[in-house]
Amino acid sequence: QKKPHEPQLPRSLIKEIFSHFVKMPVTRDAFKIVEKCCERYFKQLSNDLEAYASHAGRKTVEVADLEVLMRRQGLVTDKMPLHVLIERYLPLEYRKLLIPVAMSGNKVIPSK
Amino acid sequence: RAAHGALSGRLKAAVHYTVGCLCQEVAEDKDVEFSKQSIAAISEITFRQCEIFAKDLEMFARHAKRTTVNTEDVKLLARRSNSLLKYITQKSEELASTNMEQKEKKRKKSSAAKGERTPGEQEAAVTENEDSNMA
Repeated sequence: QKKPHEPQLPRSLIKEIFSHFVKMPVTRDAFKIVEKCCERYFKQLSNDLEAYASHAGRKTVEVADLEVLMRRQGLVTDKMPLHVLIERYLPLEYRKLLIPVAMSGNKVIPSK
Repeated sequence: RAAHGALSGRLKAAVHYTVGCLCQEVAEDKDVEFSKQSIAAISEITFRQCEIFAKDLEMFARHAKRTTVNTEDVKLLARRSNSLLKYITQKSEELASTNMEQKEKKRKKSSAAKGERTPGEQEAAVTENEDSNMA
């Protein structure tokens, strides 16, 4: 019987994403370290999001909290808006959910 | 634009002066010397860091749907470093307690002089106190 362990991103996915960006051979040990870093990253991320949400007097994390977080991380700046990052890094089906697009008949999808 | 340049020059000079004083204190305390270039570098770093702080504080205040930056925003700014957060929290508690004392005094005075104030006015007085203490 396997031990139940903490939920985490699939190893294969982490590996795939990391090797997509480094474009260089990476040893198995290095991937283990990357996995550990991902775990830590998510811990920090959840702490930060909690702080930002409660700062705004909410108990629910919203897109605005994530935007503040990404601004603090230096990912979103005045020259690099969140929408551009979404367009650049997320696949089309997720982009559709996040960025409102005006459709025919003066409809905006997704409506807010 | 020229006026803006002159103002930032004066601000930089003020920062440079204060950094010089602080460096001198450290120099006497640790028995080391700071070269003029290193003091200039520290003051330049401080100036740029202030720009970053100002932007982040503005963002945090706007995030909480406020237009006035308060101590909560400053605490959020210091979250990245645990020791800094501890220090800032302690300082803000000290500030809050002194503010409370001042508020009590003011309330006694004002209630003696012209009766109770409206809540809005009281809040305004508190924020004024915070500002003067922050400076």
